[in-house]
Amino acid sequence: MESNFREIVQLTRRDFLTSTASGLGALAFASMLKADGLLAKDPAPTARNPLEPRPPHFAPKANACIFIFMEGAPSQMDLFDPKPKLNELHGQKLPESLVKEVRFAFIQKDSAVIMGSPRQFTKHGQCGMELSDLLPHLGSCADDIALIRSMHTDQFNHHPGQLMMNCGVATFGKPTIGAWLNYGLGSVCQNLPGYVVLTAGRGTSGGASLWSSGFLPSNYAGVLFRNQGDPVLNLSNPPGITSEMQHLGLDAIMDLNKLRMKTVADPEIASRISAYELAFKMQTSAPELMDLSGESKATLEAYGVDRDDPRLKADRGGGPGQYRAFARNCLLARRLVERGVRFVNIYHASWDHHSNLNAELKFNAGMADQPIAALLKDLKQRGLLDTTLLIWGSEFGRTPLGENRIGREPNTGRDHHPFAFSLWMAGGGVKGGQVIGETDEIGWSIVKEPIHINDFHATILHLFGLDHERLTYRFQGRDFRLTDVAGKVFEKLLA
Amino acid sequence: MKRISTSHILVALLAVFTAANVDANDGASPASKAESPTVSPEHSSHSHWAFKPPVRPEVPETTTRTWIRNPIDAFVLSRLEKEKLAPSPEADRRTLIRRLSFDLLGLPPRIEDVDAFVADKRPDAYDLLVDRLLASPHFGERWGRHWLDLARYADSDGYEKDTARPYAYLFRDWVIDAVNRDLPFDQFSIEQLAGDLLPGATEAQKIATGFHRNTLTNKEGGVDQEEFRCKATVDRVSTTATVWLGLTVGCAECHNHKYDPIAQREFYQLYAFFNNASEKDLPAPGPAELAQYRQEKERWDEERDRLQSELAAYLREKAAANQTAWEQKVKLPAERWAILTVTKAASAGGSDLKVQNDGTVVVTGKNPDKDTYTLEATTDLKNVTGFRLEVFDDPAPGKGPGRSRNGNFVLSEFKVNVELESERDWKSAATGPATPQESRRAGSPHPNPLPKEREKQAAPAATSDRSKPAPALESTLPLPKGEGRGEGEGIAKPIEGSEHRKSRAVTPITLQQASADHAPKDWPVEGAIDGNAKTGWAIDPQFDQRHVAVFETEENIEVPAGAKLIFHLDQQYGSQHTLERFRLAATSSSGPLKADLMPDSIVWILETPVERRTQKEKDALAKYYREVVDPSTRTLNGQLVAHAKKESKFPETKAQTLAENEKPRQTYIHIRGDFLRKGEEVMPGTLAVLHAFKSRKVGQASSLPPVEKHSQEGPSSGSKEGTGWKPVLPDRLDLAEWLFDPANPLTARVTANRIWSRLFGRGLVATENDFGTRGESPSHPELLDWLATEFQRLGWSRKELIKLIVTSSVYRQSSEPRSELLARDPNNLLLARQSRFRLEAECVRDAFLSAAGLISPVIGGPSIRPPLPSDIAALGYANSVKWKDSEGADRYRRGLYIHFQRTVPYPMLMTFDAPDSNVTCTRRERSNTPLQALTTLNDPVFYECAQALGRRIAGQPAADASDQIRRVFELCLSRPPTKAEFDRLTRLHEDYSELIRRAPEQAAPIAGSHGGDAGRSAEIAALVGVARTVMNLDEFVTRE
Repeated sequence: MESNFREIVQLTRRDFLTSTASGLGALAFASMLKADGLLAKDPAPTARNPLEPRPPHFAPKANACIFIFMEGAPSQMDLFDPKPKLNELHGQKLPESLVKEVRFAFIQKDSAVIMGSPRQFTKHGQCGMELSDLLPHLGSCADDIALIRSMHTDQFNHHPGQLMMNCGVATFGKPTIGAWLNYGLGSVCQNLPGYVVLTAGRGTSGGASLWSSGFLPSNYAGVLFRNQGDPVLNLSNPPGITSEMQHLGLDAIMDLNKLRMKTVADPEIASRISAYELAFKMQTSAPELMDLSGESKATLEAYGVDRDDPRLKADRGGGPGQYRAFARNCLLARRLVERGVRFVNIYHASWDHHSNLNAELKFNAGMADQPIAALLKDLKQRGLLDTTLLIWGSEFGRTPLGENRIGREPNTGRDHHPFAFSLWMAGGGVKGGQVIGETDEIGWSIVKEPIHINDFHATILHLFGLDHERLTYRFQGRDFRLTDVAGKVFEKLLA
Repeated sequence: MKRISTSHILVALLAVFTAANVDANDGASPASKAESPTVSPEHSSHSHWAFKPPVRPEVPETTTRTWIRNPIDAFVLSRLEKEKLAPSPEADRRTLIRRLSFDLLGLPPRIEDVDAFVADKRPDAYDLLVDRLLASPHFGERWGRHWLDLARYADSDGYEKDTARPYAYLFRDWVIDAVNRDLPFDQFSIEQLAGDLLPGATEAQKIATGFHRNTLTNKEGGVDQEEFRCKATVDRVSTTATVWLGLTVGCAECHNHKYDPIAQREFYQLYAFFNNASEKDLPAPGPAELAQYRQEKERWDEERDRLQSELAAYLREKAAANQTAWEQKVKLPAERWAILTVTKAASAGGSDLKVQNDGTVVVTGKNPDKDTYTLEATTDLKNVTGFRLEVFDDPAPGKGPGRSRNGNFVLSEFKVNVELESERDWKSAATGPATPQESRRAGSPHPNPLPKEREKQAAPAATSDRSKPAPALESTLPLPKGEGRGEGEGIAKPIEGSEHRKSRAVTPITLQQASADHAPKDWPVEGAIDGNAKTGWAIDPQFDQRHVAVFETEENIEVPAGAKLIFHLDQQYGSQHTLERFRLAATSSSGPLKADLMPDSIVWILETPVERRTQKEKDALAKYYREVVDPSTRTLNGQLVAHAKKESKFPETKAQTLAENEKPRQTYIHIRGDFLRKGEEVMPGTLAVLHAFKSRKVGQASSLPPVEKHSQEGPSSGSKEGTGWKPVLPDRLDLAEWLFDPANPLTARVTANRIWSRLFGRGLVATENDFGTRGESPSHPELLDWLATEFQRLGWSRKELIKLIVTSSVYRQSSEPRSELLARDPNNLLLARQSRFRLEAECVRDAFLSAAGLISPVIGGPSIRPPLPSDIAALGYANSVKWKDSEGADRYRRGLYIHFQRTVPYPMLMTFDAPDSNVTCTRRERSNTPLQALTTLNDPVFYECAQALGRRIAGQPAADASDQIRRVFELCLSRPPTKAEFDRLTRLHEDYSELIRRAPEQAAPIAGSHGGDAGRSAEIAALVGVARTVMNLDEFVTRE
């Protein structure tokens, strides 16, 4: 019996330290326990290494996702959903029946009027996708993109909306998509976290709650890669400690932990040893990841990593250098996916254009268009697009009505609009070159193929080979899902 | 006896009694029934173990008796014997004291305490240790923190704005204190749920209601406040049910519970208890704050009284005589001023100019950067030699005569024109010229106090009627004497758009001399008449008083009756340096004119013989003398004013509490959880599947007469039928007391189980937050029931129950995994050993700070902010999170005092699985991640601990390096190293020393800036290397 036990521990440990693919040891360990019925009710994953790769429910199309989150809600009728009728009706009121039951964040209903758009839309690609003149580069990728013009959500305030888009419900304390994917599939990456967050611009409404693991263990939380200092908090050795000393210290920690494990045969000690090994690997791999010196000049130029911000008066914060930071983040996203990171989140804030929309949207779109198109093409060229899901999204859309908030110049921006907004997906098993859904002639309501956020999430999980109804976690007596109690895979999106 | 009316209560009761039978009702129409699951109360409510009250079980007999220390052991051992398993041996003393210290205090034991306990030969040494730890004030921190997990305690609002809650700590302090004084759990709970409703509620009991103020608040622009009030109320219901009942009622917010017999209607019955509570911030300074305030205030009062009595004595004894002397020698100004009647006032910048009865122009509304005021005024003076501009201080604090931020203004140019209508047949001219007296009655509220008219005007006209037209005009052309000097005078031009063809003769008046009572060097009043808009008159730094400027005309101007004086007050400095309150006057006195601050009214009084002065005038003069003239009173008053500014402020500390609304809010079912879709109205009530609900106001519910038919009306219908009867609804206090009804099957079990789980790493019921039908069954049902009944028998004493558990043989077992157990019982459900698990986030920090000798033992008070990189704080919304690192000993406070900002939680806490504080947390995850390793290896706080430990050891007498290595090990792990461990550390120490010998420049940064003895940096650095290694061992962050 004793020897058997040692063997299990050794096996388990070896698995943590070496396995990248099989994880057989841990699985065997878990199944042994299961056979006794003692683990039967424990929530999956049962293996001791929570990031061990796990098989999906069925064959996946995607194995990585880059979710570009444009915080604040970009105006869909100025970017993705042309509404020439708005120019015709510019300055007119909406029929009362339409706005009667609606709650707005800031619009005063009595005097609100429709606001036209100066944007020119042209057709792109073989599919003839209509996109705004603010997105010329993206236009060249139209045939790879599935543009959804019929998204809708339940929330019309930013933070609840952002939680909804990330967690499927508008409440704090729930895991995000990235956390769910890492929980469901584990991470194949041995020296970087499975869920990485990159930011540019100012702080978002949701702060760090947007990459929280919620009730899941913190193994599944997003790890912020910073734009300054250490790429990961506490990555560098502290003052005075050379890498040689760090190495010596870690060796001693390993040896002493192993000695302890001889006395106290707790697999948790093995788990600690492997965590320290991964930490040490990250100390090398994260700086290597951030170092773009190996990228070709052509690549750097394609992403536009050296572009300066154009001058803009009274923007929405975020300071100078947003163009560079955002482009760099797009390039880093590709490098992360190349290294096996499961989920990359790129945040940029803010697109909350209640006023001065034309100038600020031009600034933001100018920042986003080129690097995102470059990312898409780069992934494609490297053969990564087939398995990498690329998403542009936000928490909701903006109103066809101009905003007339008291105390501000009216109708230079738009208010929050949860009933119909646009986002797009590409790669990772998504059928490109199509426009899904339709809104009415002023973009107020969806008239065709509505997709709720829960449906959107169900579809993402499906692309990863996961059944959104089966990916659950028991918390406070309930089996929670990313899709809450709803969600339906939108088949038309699938290639 | 109070007559109890039925109808309103009946609704509630019916709801309670029928709820279990209400199936599939989401609060909407019956049509929606099909979509909801069916609750089968017959099945679940009556057979589920947790819904039956615990019955005190017999303590089982066991074969082995020697192991039994108390009944807990009998229950566990009897099960082990059935499984043919032996319990583990007792852990060694070092492990025991370490385990107890972490479990009871959240801190590692001091090495002296370890040694003492190991050496303690008394038979009750263990019990004595337990008693000592239970009596430590750190016990309240440890077990208070457990409670704060449930209370979702945080120091900010949550959501986008995430405003800090600087006084949230008052609730934390209350919890720590209540746990330390072992406030019985029933009272502990009742005070938190309904402390405000207790008879004669104390401040502390009200602070206790802060439990349910830890809900989130959304201050994002454009949110519907009612929506988030409802969300907070929903959270209060769910949290209450989870914490005290171990039930997940949250599902029933939107529909009937899928598995447990909880109807949606019942959820809203519970909701009704909390719906009637309002958030109230209660001034609640702490004793120390209050004592300091009172002390300061007392000193301040004393000084004020002294100054006041000094002033009173002066006024009583000397002031009158001094005033008489002054009156006799005072020189009155030579000029006599006539207040101008402003008939029109306009602003080029869009400001709003209003003329007061006393002739003062007050500017409000839009506040442009620059402005030009144009004023049209009339005067009764026949000729004019100068003008006066008075500016008045805005009485509001921090304001002045100007509209700029500090109350300043710059008068760039002061220009005057005389204007006359030249059309002869202007209609109103037919009414004839008004006499000065008539004109005064008509529109001039403030008579022109020219000397010859003065006596007639002793009582100024009090009213003004601005609707009347300005006084009629004579048609004489107003030309200054010496007409014809130069071009530009007397230009007649037609008034555009006028009904009648009229023309104006506008003549500029040349001003030659200006003076003011005060002007700063760079902004002399001459600048206002030099034709240069870049120069002008300002008043800094004397903003909070009246000022006067006078402007002499070059010549004596003849003003024909009916002529208008047109003033242009040009203010071109920018940044709102414009006038807010001012008044214009003119004079005929011959120059040179002086800017005398003596008000006109005082001049009049002084000119009146003493015996003819009215009392009012005497009073006004005396007041003027004291406030403006008398140096003695002015000095004393000045001291009083200065003293008033120093008054100590009452501490702003406000406790977040709940208070009951006087007028109850009506509660409706929210259809599908949508607060905008109101369903049926419901009354406060509890869950039918549990014990009966009693309200202390309406007696036992079930004793009420039966209801004839189900009424859907609220209490208002009840008040209709009886006279003088007021609806008495059950309230939160009833709910809280209901939780501690002896018939309640859940609260004692749930709480005992939770306490158990903190001491064994998991509960007897593993799903400690779900005692419903979907939860797991208890591993030791009899033990759970015995503990639940024992807890009540012990008067709900937390400390007593903990003592009972930690003194059992079960608790004292070794936690080492046993090979035969790993296969049979890997999760240690059978309790054949203790559990071994990683410390919680706060304890990890505390263990580092303790070993380093840095930890601050201060208990309670405001939260602290350890160092945090600025870009991490900047993740909060638009840079709104302000994170100022704490200084001094506050940097080393325990982890539970770290400011918890909900949208940007302190990274170390989250990395180690601290709850995110947004919903109640009954069990923390225990993850094991690379980020944790990076934190304890490299985070500045943790590195500082390793450095401090290295220095600490270096500072103690030691024979040699081996001795020092042993001490590091013992300080960190409460035990001596094994030979293998010691050898490995010795090797590390040698390697480190060698590296430092080769790179001596590394020694100082590793030894740390506080190294002191520079000559020993190399020695210290090597010890820091050892300390950092030991502190990163699994054992260091593990409670065994």
